[in-house]
Amino acid sequence: MAKVLMKGNEAIAESGIRAGGLCYFCYPITPQSEVAEYLSRRMPEVGGAFLQGESEVAVSNMLYGAAGAGVRCWTTSSSPGISLMMEALSYIAAAELPCVIVNIVRAGPGLGGILPSQGDYRQAVKGGGHGDYRCLVYAPSSVQEAVDLMPLAFDRADRYRNPVLIIGDGMIGQMMEPVEFREQEFPSLPEKNWATDGCKGRKPNVVNSLYLNPVEEEQLNRKLGEKYARMERDEVMFEEFNTGKPYRALFVAYGTTARICKTAIKKLAEEGIDVALLRPITLFPFPSERLNELAEPAEFLLSVEMSMGQMLEDIRLATCCRKPVHFYGRQGGLVPSPEEVADEVKRLLGSAKGDR
Amino acid sequence: MNPKELNSNDPVAWCPGCGNFGIREAVKRALVELELEPWQTCFVSGIGQAAKAPHYIRCNLFNGLHGRALPVATGVKLANPELVVIAEGGDGDGYAEGGNHFLHALRRNIDVTYLVHDNQVYGLTKGQASPTSDSGMKTRTTPSGSRVPAFHPLALAVALDGGYVARGLSNRVAHLAALIAGAVRHPGFALVEILQPCVSFNRVNTGQWYRERVYELADEYDPTNRELAFDLAREWGERIPIGLFYRSSRPAYPLPVPAAPPSGDTFRFLLETLR
Repeated sequence: MAKVLMKGNEAIAESGIRAGGLCYFCYPITPQSEVAEYLSRRMPEVGGAFLQGESEVAVSNMLYGAAGAGVRCWTTSSSPGISLMMEALSYIAAAELPCVIVNIVRAGPGLGGILPSQGDYRQAVKGGGHGDYRCLVYAPSSVQEAVDLMPLAFDRADRYRNPVLIIGDGMIGQMMEPVEFREQEFPSLPEKNWATDGCKGRKPNVVNSLYLNPVEEEQLNRKLGEKYARMERDEVMFEEFNTGKPYRALFVAYGTTARICKTAIKKLAEEGIDVALLRPITLFPFPSERLNELAEPAEFLLSVEMSMGQMLEDIRLATCCRKPVHFYGRQGGLVPSPEEVADEVKRLLGSAKGDR
Repeated sequence: MNPKELNSNDPVAWCPGCGNFGIREAVKRALVELELEPWQTCFVSGIGQAAKAPHYIRCNLFNGLHGRALPVATGVKLANPELVVIAEGGDGDGYAEGGNHFLHALRRNIDVTYLVHDNQVYGLTKGQASPTSDSGMKTRTTPSGSRVPAFHPLALAVALDGGYVARGLSNRVAHLAALIAGAVRHPGFALVEILQPCVSFNRVNTGQWYRERVYELADEYDPTNRELAFDLAREWGERIPIGLFYRSSRPAYPLPVPAAPPSGDTFRFLLETLR
């Protein structure tokens, strides 16, 4: 199929449909309303369901209901809207139901602004809702990758019976890039014999997350814990850049900032400074093992984020602080330039010399 | 006081021709008529083009969460019963995201005034269907027309025996200012639903559309007649009534009565003890 030029939000919408996400709920919020607008036109053409709810609280519970009924369902929103969905997300994880939630992250906290940010890393990766649960979290760094990750997200949601988050920032949602919708093949999925889709000829199914018996609740927590451990073993995705030759420093960055780091790496190479990049594609599970290996030859690691430094903590945890882990970031909707990132590397290399 | 003294220095982010300008003017005139100084009033808003309105008036302002103006306003009023509390927002903010809070504010009948700018569309996010979009209306999320009937806030407010239930039009400034002043004077929950055109994102319910349909309730109309108010609240389409539809005699939610301040003697005693 030929490439077409599409806005990120619309490309995500189309890819969601092609992945079989034919049940979609939404509430307007900038900078992702184009997903909803696109799907309001497109869903009737493919026989899917589109519904604009009265609030994100309603939308997330509609998602809970549809997921329980066994269909591929999803929603998109942006940071403040995602916060409102956290309650339902915890229940969906507890009830082990599959769904996909796309967060086109904007600057926060509070109402914040409408420009790109990566400030929701912790909310996505560490929880956000209450209780002991996790979500698989994908972070595309281009419109094409967002398109490619949608079918994978739906597959993994069904496979693990777990909510999957896609974290894009306002940049991914709003920019236009050429994209191609490629067919992806996945192994067959188990039948959804747990769905509340009518019980003629079988025992009724129940969707529930209440366990007053502590032993049963502990069993659920352990079962979920085993599932998350399986994700950590099998689902890690990352990209390496410039790691094939010796390097002095290692960038760790995801999404939009990883692209900026790549440009910075090229600029630094022109000045004879070799720097590499590890780009996590899954934020949970975090590519800790590979990060450890890549950290070995580097003098230091530099986490570049559009936040005050959230992934930074996971980098330190993964490497057990064996190497200095520095942070460079912009906040409030401002995007770091490749020049300022490159300058930070040079500054750190200079001070590293001084330390010796 | 001159209404101009209530202007704030915030740059206004509304489109030229927006109905919000008329509403802001009416709000300022009402505050002047009520002889309220800026420090005596607290505006509370959520998110939306309408929720920006309090930024453009020189009073206390609490700009909170989308849809949550009424619970925040309730908190403000209970914490400081002396303050005049005015919640302000749009149809999406108040009737969709905050719909549940709207129901319970009506039930509770706390002494808060609620101004709802109703342009029948989401303006801030650029033109999606809102709860008051008429059935069949084409918007960015209803390309073949809305399939659900519009929400009628006045009918709901009358059904719940809401304290003060009124509707105005954004460019009938004097009429609207009088409704707002009456709402603030009313000792209980007061709803002023304000019809307004959205010049950028609603090409159906334009200024002319409203002008052709709106009529004022007659002077001799009795706002204590709940059955009649309910009938009028459901009148929508060819003719749209504006004015004070209904006023309930239901007691307002009790506000805390502050303990008496220490007398002069007690005060002197305390001072001497502390010395």
